[in-house]
Order: sequence, then structure tokens, then C-alpha cells
Amino acid sequence: MAGTRPRGNPKSKALVAGAAHGKKKKSGVTGGAGKRGERCSRHGPRLPTALRRQLDALGPSPSRGSDDEDGEAGSDSGGDDVYEYEEGVPEEEAGKNSRYDAVEKYEYEFDSDASNADEDVPSDEGEDMEEDDAGEDEDEEKQIRILQETTGMPREAFDGGKKKKQPLELPLQPEVGDGPVTIHDLLNNIQGKPGYSKLRKRLQQQEKKPMVVQAPLPKVEREKIERGVVYQESKKEVTKWEPLVKRNREAPTLYFENDLNLGVNTVGAIASEFKPRNEFEKKMAEIIHSTEMMEAHKNDGAKILELNKIDMEDVRDRQDRLAKMRSLLFRHEMKAKRIKKIKSRTYHRMLKKDKLKAASADLEADPEAAKEHAMKQEFKRAEERMRLKHKNTSKWAKRILKRGLDVQDEGTRAAIAAQLQQNALLTRKMNSTKDDSSSSEESSDGEEDDNESEENILNKGKEKILKVLGNDNEIPTSGVFSLPFMERAMKKHEEATYQEARLALEEYDESLRKLEDGNTEENGDSVKVTGKRTFGPVKNTTKETNKKQKLDDPDKSSDSEYESDSSQHLDNNDVNKVDDVQLGTALLDDETQDDLFKSFDDIIKNPGPKTTFEVGMLADNSWKKFNSSKGNDRSNANSDTDKSMLKVPYMAGQNPKQLDHNSDSDSEEEMVEGLMTISDTKESYKIPSQADLIRQAFAGDDVEAEFEKDKLDVLNEENPEPEKPALVPGWGQWTDIQQKKGLPSWMVKEHENAKRKREEALKRRKDAKLKHVIISEHVDKKADKLLARNLPFPYTSKDVYEQSIRMPIGPDFNPAISVAALNRPAIVKKPGVVIKPIQYEEVDPHEKPDEPKRIIQRAVPNPKAKKTSAKKAKAVASNKRK
Amino acid sequence: MAMASAKPEPAQKAMEGGEQEAAADEMEKKLHKYSRGKAANLGALRDKKLRGQLAAREKLYGHSAKAAALADTWLLPTGLGYLEPEDDLEKTYRYKQESVVKEVDLLSSRKPFDMILPLLGPYTLGYTGNGRYMVVGGRKGHIAMMDMLNLELIKEFQVRETVRDVAFLHNEQLYAVAQKKYPYIYNRHGTEIHCLKEHGKSLKLQFLEKHFLLASINSFGQLHYQDVSTGEMVANYRTGLGRTDVMRVNPYNAVISLGHAGGKVTMWKPTSVKPLVTMLCHSGPVTAVAFDRGGHLMATSGVDRKIKIWDLRKYEVINSFAARAQSLDFSQKGLLACSNGSQVEIFRDAGSQDYKIYMQHRMVKGYQIGKVLFRPYEDILGIGHSMGLSSILVPGSGEPNFDTFVDNPIETSKQRREKEVQSLLNKLQPETIMLNPNMIATVRPSRKKEKKTKKEIEEEMEDAVEAAKNAEFKKKTKGRSKASKRAKKREEEVLKAKRPFLEQYKENEGRPDKKQRVGEEIKLPKALQRFAKSRQ
Repeated sequence: MAGTRPRGNPKSKALVAGAAHGKKKKSGVTGGAGKRGERCSRHGPRLPTALRRQLDALGPSPSRGSDDEDGEAGSDSGGDDVYEYEEGVPEEEAGKNSRYDAVEKYEYEFDSDASNADEDVPSDEGEDMEEDDAGEDEDEEKQIRILQETTGMPREAFDGGKKKKQPLELPLQPEVGDGPVTIHDLLNNIQGKPGYSKLRKRLQQQEKKPMVVQAPLPKVEREKIERGVVYQESKKEVTKWEPLVKRNREAPTLYFENDLNLGVNTVGAIASEFKPRNEFEKKMAEIIHSTEMMEAHKNDGAKILELNKIDMEDVRDRQDRLAKMRSLLFRHEMKAKRIKKIKSRTYHRMLKKDKLKAASADLEADPEAAKEHAMKQEFKRAEERMRLKHKNTSKWAKRILKRGLDVQDEGTRAAIAAQLQQNALLTRKMNSTKDDSSSSEESSDGEEDDNESEENILNKGKEKILKVLGNDNEIPTSGVFSLPFMERAMKKHEEATYQEARLALEEYDESLRKLEDGNTEENGDSVKVTGKRTFGPVKNTTKETNKKQKLDDPDKSSDSEYESDSSQHLDNNDVNKVDDVQLGTALLDDETQDDLFKSFDDIIKNPGPKTTFEVGMLADNSWKKFNSSKGNDRSNANSDTDKSMLKVPYMAGQNPKQLDHNSDSDSEEEMVEGLMTISDTKESYKIPSQADLIRQAFAGDDVEAEFEKDKLDVLNEENPEPEKPALVPGWGQWTDIQQKKGLPSWMVKEHENAKRKREEALKRRKDAKLKHVIISEHVDKKADKLLARNLPFPYTSKDVYEQSIRMPIGPDFNPAISVAALNRPAIVKKPGVVIKPIQYEEVDPHEKPDEPKRIIQRAVPNPKAKKTSAKKAKAVASNKRK
Repeated sequence: MAMASAKPEPAQKAMEGGEQEAAADEMEKKLHKYSRGKAANLGALRDKKLRGQLAAREKLYGHSAKAAALADTWLLPTGLGYLEPEDDLEKTYRYKQESVVKEVDLLSSRKPFDMILPLLGPYTLGYTGNGRYMVVGGRKGHIAMMDMLNLELIKEFQVRETVRDVAFLHNEQLYAVAQKKYPYIYNRHGTEIHCLKEHGKSLKLQFLEKHFLLASINSFGQLHYQDVSTGEMVANYRTGLGRTDVMRVNPYNAVISLGHAGGKVTMWKPTSVKPLVTMLCHSGPVTAVAFDRGGHLMATSGVDRKIKIWDLRKYEVINSFAARAQSLDFSQKGLLACSNGSQVEIFRDAGSQDYKIYMQHRMVKGYQIGKVLFRPYEDILGIGHSMGLSSILVPGSGEPNFDTFVDNPIETSKQRREKEVQSLLNKLQPETIMLNPNMIATVRPSRKKEKKTKKEIEEEMEDAVEAAKNAEFKKKTKGRSKASKRAKKREEEVLKAKRPFLEQYKENEGRPDKKQRVGEEIKLPKALQRFAKSRQ
């Protein structure tokens, strides 16, 4: 459009529209013409004479009928001889001022002519075209003429293009009439020509019943109507969702379950989807899908299938076997578990022995095993030598040794001994495996000559060490060892071994010496192989036996272990004994009672934290005798109870003074007296004190009046009585008139108001009608926080709110089945679940959901729902397109 | 636990239809009980959304109530049995204990006993909430704790001073003893844990289980509340009504009531200085007060030889007998025990709150009964008297079905610990004690005009003054914003800001300052009297 628009010409839209209807090439030309014509009109007052003449000649030109000509042109041609003042084109319109952008003017004038009223109406299109063409022709003619005159060039120079473009020759009769060109004029040409029959028919029809096509509505109106229609449509669309949304809103609980449907079901499905992408895959696919392979696979498959056929019995056998194995395994496992749990040392010792025995039996049978065993033993020994694990090197052993073995108990000592024995065993056998002969010797020797053998061993060790010390290590001259740093290392090593050997030698010597000395010391009962050590002095064992004796002593209590506080304990014991004395019976005897009180004193003197004192009254079971006896029925009671009952008064009568001493009798002990008087088994009445009597006697006197007064006081305190109105002395008392009037009326009124208010308040009280009750109206501020300040939001009435909270919803007050429902949150959703947009479902709007919960998002979405949603999506899409 | 009724009912076929009806009736009753009142009128609600929500809620409540009613048959399997007379001539109160003991099962027959402890004087007693343990206190300092399930003595000792009252705390591990000077707390082994000196010489102790409060009334008529979980003294009020040793806690709302010498019964809570309710119950001193488990019934007895039963919702007398009573107690199932001298009478509601005598028991003549107390979850009444302790069978007194979440008479130590923690977690604050606990969470009644306190007004005024002082002034020319002028202006502003508050102050004081009242009774000095206008 921009291209077609005449340069700097703010021409109306009509022109542009015309151009749009016509062909583009033409439009350019017409634009030019328009411009020229306009220029003519603009410069009306100073029109060159030639032009004026031309205009005159054109006077009754058919330009009038053409709707393409804009108003200006029309008026121009119409008022040929009238001078009109025309405003100059505003600067911006004229394009002189380039500050403003050229704007198309969308003014629009409607032609009153019905035939070419609406260019948008498609039925008129054909005619329009023709008309347009005609109009354009005229324009062109005009243009050509103008050009001819201004340039003086022959007409053909300008006329060439036009002829070519004329699609349909419309031999217009130029000078037919003065009137405007009608449609008939135009259609005359197609009369009788084939191919236009339709057009003609329509024309005829139109002529028969002249249809008035309404002028198009103004844009605003039209848009309004459009909006209305769109609204209706969208309303329909939205109302469809209404019941669904309503139901969701009304549901107390919404569930959002996770959509677990991944779209693919099985591996097979995934595999079937697979398509080879790269070359390798393609090759593989080719091979796999080749006919040979397929064939082979098929055959193979058949074979496999054949193999798949198994006998029922086979299966059963296999199952039986498996079950048996499983049960065996299980039993074994259980047994192992049980055994593993056994902590008994003796058991483990036995087990080990058994194992060793079995191993030895094995060894005899199998030389291979024997070899292995020997290797193992060797390894163990080596380890022992390296780690010296059993030579009291452990933290535990060190600690025990540090504290002294004498102090330890038997178990620890035994453990230490066992350890050392182990060590000895391991180190002793080292020699034995080194040369078989000695071991055999030793084994044959037995256990009697332990010392001898040890001497032997020691001597042998000494000899060996001496040998080591004597001979130099030959350093190999070749290989790795010939390297200088290796040499150095070897030397160092040698020195170290030398030192060690010397030390060992010394040790050997020492031990040999010791062995000779210690032969006498050897304990008979000890089974220790080494026999080098004895644990603890001899007195220890004697002490132990002493202790044992003590423990065995049945007379002494278990906690009398410590002799240091035995004396103290004795005292305690005595006290305890006294404590245990049964008070009920003890009191019968004066002596014991004295004792008891002595002990009381003792206890008080004792600085212990215990302030309470044991009384064996209930503990002595004496009361249980009364169990069967009924207080009422004394004949039924057995002799025992009778006795005790008889004893009681006697006792009570005998030492009332002591009782008094004993109990910190209070001033208001009245029941004591009652107890004292029991002795004569008559019904006794306690004698109340004088003060009590007086109080009781006068209590009922004026109780009610007093209460009334109290009530009045309380009322006055909570709703104070209004003061009587009074005047300041001197005020309003200057004259008689004022004096006569009395109190000002406002004061009186105020007073009356206050009085009335008070009365109302009193009437409103809860205890207004209860004479004997005062109910405090005081508002407890601390309890105020437990009340609601105002009604919570959705509630508008207090009653409804208070009724709604009447029911407890906790698990303590409701059966388990309803607790969950009562406490369900509004929305149930696991973290990570994506809430999807709502899906359309057919919902009966009148149906009332029975279930309190509602699942919004199912794990497997409704297939039906999906369909509808798909439909809906389509509909939406189509709507959009529209 | 409770004895089934001794009389077997004859089965008749004709009765079956009636039975069905009765069952339906009972179901209806239970439903009514569990739906806890009616729903509000939802039809009148305008808000549709709220109406829908509430309707859904109500439906759930209905389901829940129904389920609870159905579960009742399983959860409450044991019915309770009373002594029932064969005909009109037979009276239940003529049954002696021996004849009752003969009829009951072996287990129950072992429960009654008489313990003769003549030395350490009139005994008082207390049970734990589950009824398993009993603590007894002899006036002369004998304290003992027993396991009543296997009748085993756990601990006994002598404190060698007056013991006035004993009370278990939340479980059998701790109990409080009101001694000569102070109350003490001992543990199950008889070790003294605390001495509560602040309470003074207390006469009576009560423990509020849900609130962990130990309440005591001392000889000066001071009421103390102490939180035993935190040790804090929650409240200390002077009743101003003299010495009393009549104190009882209402199990329904934990309000403590005291009986006074003036015939008054006052009800107290820890957060109010004044009694909530003061009732004039008797024309002489009140001797005993007891409350029903539901909290709506109160029984009082006075020196005026009357026992009255009150409806606490209306504060009206329901029943009044002419009888003396030193102590009163309501059982879990609503039997009322009264002791008078050496006689115990038990009343039973014969329908529509008409209390009739149900059982009678006479101790040996001369025994003065100090305290009667029903053992929870058992058909047993414990009696503490001047010569020891007794317990008698009262069929139909105890709740036959126990809820182990509430009270478990046969709980293990683990359960006990669990429950202790639970109850500590669920401990209620002292301010939740009020006459009507259903008030909690309801809308608070609007006060007509909430006056600001003096302090609030002061604070507001200060703020306003501060704001006035800091106000920026416009810069003006021609000497109008000289320092002096500005200062003056500022002063004015401050005054202006103050003025409304000062007015409020005056209002708060109650009267405008210009109206100075001069009563008529004020006499002028003699010299001026002749100027005074004589009024008619």
C-alpha cells in the first residue's frame, strides 16, 4: 500500500481503496491523476486559462457517477463557475513539514446510491470492477488530455499503455446523455452475450423486487454485536465446566494422586519401538533381521521350547529336594546361631579340643592336610613371636600387672595364667617343629620332666644363638643385594640381630638359672606348663577361704561383707530389729515399749536425712485377722478378733498418757478423746469445745440477713449506685427563683438514667432471681484469651459457630473409623506430585456427591475424561483459529 | 468389676419384641449422647458455601456418633447391677453386708475388710484416680500406702505429728500429706520430697488432676493453688470467711468449693480473687460438700441437720433430707454416701433425681466415721473412722467399664510412665478452669464500652506529644520563623495534642472535675451557719 500511495499526498482512503480494488499497476497511475486533479482544484482562483477551459469542457463529465472520485473532485466538477475559497492544505498534510508521519485518513463517505453502496458486498463485486474500470478510464482520459496540453506531445505517447490493459472492451457511448451512468448503461454491452446469463438473471430479479440493502452498521455497533456473539459462545464453553468446578469446590477434600502411567508398559514394548540410528546399530539390525538369523532363531526357539517341557514328577522331585535342602540349611543355620550365642568358656574350650582332635585325626589320615596344618601352626607361632600377644603385652594385662596380681580376683588371675600358658605353648612348639626328633622326644617324655625338657630347649636355643653370633652372614655379591644401599641396610640389620641375639642369650642364661632355683617353689596343684610364675601370695588364698566361710555363714546378712563397719552395722541391726517390732503388740508390753521409745530417740539423734519412721502396724498382718469379721456382727467374729478387741480398750485405758507424749497432740484433737472413751464400748459423743458450741448455737441466727447484705455489697461493688445529684454551695442560689427551681432538670434526668441503668444491669444478672446465690459477673482477663474475640470469618451468627465447634474431633473422643475423616485436610497431595490442569468430565449437576472425599487426579486417568479433554482441546484450537 | 445384678431375669418370648424396641431406644439414647447436642439450623444460613461445608461436617459427625454408639456395646461390655428387691415389701437397705458378701463372686467377696488400728487415731483416706492404690493417714501421724488390688502394704511410716489430710497426686508415685505445720509431699517409698511451707497449716488438700494443681485450705481460710509440675504457686487467695476444712473439687470443671461456717458454699478458681459463686446452703456451718462426676449435682450437709442436693445449672435444691452427715461422697455412678456418727447411709437416684435410701451400714458403736470415699472402678466404699479403716461393698457404685486411656486400674509401670508423660503434655493451664468449660473457644460476650486504662491513655498521649514535638514547621519569612516563635508554636502544638487525652482522663476518673459535690449533710462551721439557706 505504501508504494501505491502518492508521494506526500494526504488523499482520502477512497482513492486508496479504489486502487486496492483495481490492479496495482493501474492504481499508481490513478494516484497520479488524482494528484493532478487535486492540484487543479486547489489552485482554483489562479487557475490557468487553458485548464479552466478544459474544465468547462469536462463539465458534464461522467466523473460524477464514479464512486471512486472523492468528494473534493466531485464538488470541483460540480461547481465549475463558482469561486470557492479553499483552505490551504495544512503543512503536515501537504508533506512540507516532515515532522509528522504521513497518516492514512480513514474517513469514509457513503454513497447514497444503492447500486454501488457497499463495495464489500461480494455480489456487487463484478459490477464494481466494471465501474471502477470505467471511472479509471475517465481519469486516464483526463490525464492524457492534461498531459497533452501541458507537454504538447501527441496523445498517442500517453495513450499506449491503457489500450493494452483494457480487459474487456466497454464501448461506452460517450455522448449518450447527461445523466449519470446507470448500471443499464454498463450492462447493455453484455446483452445477448453468452456466459453472463447468471448475472443477468440476478439483475432481473433485483429489478423485480427492489431490495434495499441496509447500510452497514457503524463499527462500534458491529463490534458490540460481535462481542455479544462471542460472549454467548464462550459462556456456553465455560458453563460446561461449572458443575465440575462446583463439585470440586464443595468437596471437603481433594486428592491429587501421582500419575504413574509412563505411557510405556513393558520392555518388549520399548524394544519394539526401537529403531537403529547409527551405523553400528543398523548393521546389527541387518544381521539380526536377516532371514538366516531369523530362521535359526526360530529353530532354536523351537528346540528350547521342547526342552521347556518338563515332567510333573521331575518338578515335584526337584521341589522336594529343594525344600529338603532349604530345611536342612535352615536347621543348620539355627544351630549355628545357637552355638554362636553360647558364651560358656568351658564349652568353647571343649569345642576347641574337639576340633583339634578331629584335625589331628585328619592329619594322620592325610599327609597333605598334615602339611597344611604344620604350615598353619608355623604361621601361628611366627605370629606369636612377632606380636608377643600372649606375653602380657596387652593393655588389659599391663593394667592388671600394674595394679598387682595379688589384688585381682581368681578369674583374672586364671585368665592371665591361661594367656601365658598359651604363649609358652606356642613358643615351645616352635622348637618342636624345627626338628622332628626333639618333638618326638618331648612327646614321649610326657609331662613329668617338664623342667628338663625346658632346660634342653634353653640350652639348644643358647647354642643356636651362639652359632648365629659366631658366623658372619655372607653377603651375596651379586643381584640386588650388591647395591650399596642394600649393603648398608644389611649391615644395620646384622647389627640389630646381633644385639638381639646377645640379649636373648642373656635371657636364656637368666632363665636357666631361675629354673634351677624355682624347682623347689613349684606349686603342686598348678597345671601350668611353664611353672615359672605363681600368682599372688599364699595368704591370698587363705583370705579367700575366709571370705567364703563368711558368705556361707547363714546368720549374717549379705551386706555384712565389710568388716570395717561391722560394728556400726551391728548397731544398725539392732535398730532395725527394734523398728521391726510390731507396734500393735509391742505396746502391750511395757518393756518393749520403752525400748521402742528409746529407739525413737536414737533415730532422732541420728543425723540421717530420714525424718520418717517405720511403723509396722499394717505390715504385721495382724489387721488381716479382722478381714472376715464385720464390725456390726460380733457374734460371728472368731475368738481372735474378740481377743484383740478386748485388748484394745485395755491398752487404751492403761497408757493414755504415753500416747499423749508420743503424738504431738494438737489443740484441735477432738477425735482423740473419742478414741479414749471407746473403752466402755458405749456409743460416745465427742464433746465439742466451748467456742464450737457457741459458734454452732449462734450460727443459724442471722445467716440469711447476713447473706443478703453480702449480696447487696457485691452488687454495689459491681454496679455502683449512682450518686445523688448535688450542687456546689452557692451555685444557682443567688435568687429566690433559682432556689425554688431546685436541682437543674438535667441533673435529675442524669440521675434517673443512671438508676435505671443500674436496675437493668441488676436484672440482667444471672443471680437476679436467685436469692441465695451470688454469681460473680467479674470478667476474668486471663481466661479472655481462651475465647474468640469475634466471630471467625465465614460465620455470621454466633449460634451457628458455637454449634459447629460442639463436637470434639480428636482420636480420644471418636471411634477410629471416623477420626481420619474428621481430620482430613482440604487437599491431600504428596510432595512431588504435579497438579495437572483440570480435565473435563461429564458431571450431573444435580447429583449430590455422597463421598466426603474426592479424587481429582487419579493414578490412572480416566480414559473417558481423556477423550473429552482431547475433544475440548480441539474445540479450543478451532476457536482460536476463528 | 461391678457385680451383676443378683436377680436373674426370666426370659419370655413375649418380651422379645419389646426388647428390640428397647434396644432401638437405647441406641437412640446413645446416639443422642454421642452427637453432643443438635446441629445449628443450617437452613437459615445465607452463606451457601458455609452451609455446604457445615452440612458435610454434620454428616461426618453423624457417622461418628453412630459408630461410637455401635462401638459402645463392645467397649462397655459390663453392665452394672444394683441390689434389687423382689417385691415392694423388701427393702434394699435391710440387706446387711454379710448377706451381700455371700451373694457376690469370690473376688469381690475378698474386698470388704475392717482394719482395726486403734492407736493412731481417726483415719482419713484417699484413692488414686484409677482406684488401685489407697493412702491412709491417721490423725496422730500414721501414714500408709496400700495396693488395693492384692491388698498389699507398700509403705507405712510415722511422721510423729498431726496428719490432717492425705491426697494422691497424679499417680501413686507421689502423695501429699497435710501435717501439723505444713503439707508435705512423699513418694511411694515414704521419702519426703517436698515441704510446702507456703501453704501454711493446711487443713484439707485436693489435687486437680488435669491441671496438676494441688489446692489446699489452711487454718486462716487461705486457699492456695500450687502447680506440682513446675512448683509454681499459681494462686493464693484469702477467702475472708474464716477457718474451714470443707473443701471439694468439682470433677467436671475443676472448680473448688469450700463450705463455710456461715452456711455458705463458695466456688473458686485460681484466676479470680473473688469467689465465682457464693451460695447460701445451710443456716448453720457446712460440714461436707460432694460433687457428682457430671458436675451438675452438688450435695451439701450442714449442722442444721440437713442434707441438700443441688442442681448447679440452676442453683436450686433438688432434694433435701433431714439428716446429719459428717462426710459425703458421690460414687462414679451417682450413689451418694453420707456418714453420721458410726452409721453410713447410701442414697440412690430412684429416677428423676428422687434420692431414696439404698443401703445402710452400721459400724461398731462408738466408732466415729471421719471420711467416706468411694473407690473408683470398684463397688466399694472406703470408710476412715476413729478406730481404723473399713471397706464395704456397695453394688452398683463404681464404673464397671474402664477406659485404659483415662484410668487403668491394672496398669503396668510402663503404662503408668507413658500416662504420666501424656498427662503432662495434656496439662491444662489454670485459666482454663471456669464454671462452664464449654465456654472455651466461643465468642466472648461483648462489653458495652471498653474503657481504656489509665496506662493506655498515658502511652497514647506520650506518643501524640512526641509526634507534635517532632513536627516540622514550614519555613516562613519576615521573622515569622524565628527561634522564639517556633518554640511557642511547638508548645501550642503539644498542648493541642494533649487536650483530648486529658479529657479522656477525666472521663475515666468518673466525674467531671467542676461538679464538686457537697452533700446536704455537710455542716457549715457555726459562724457561717446563719448564711446557710435553710431548706425545707
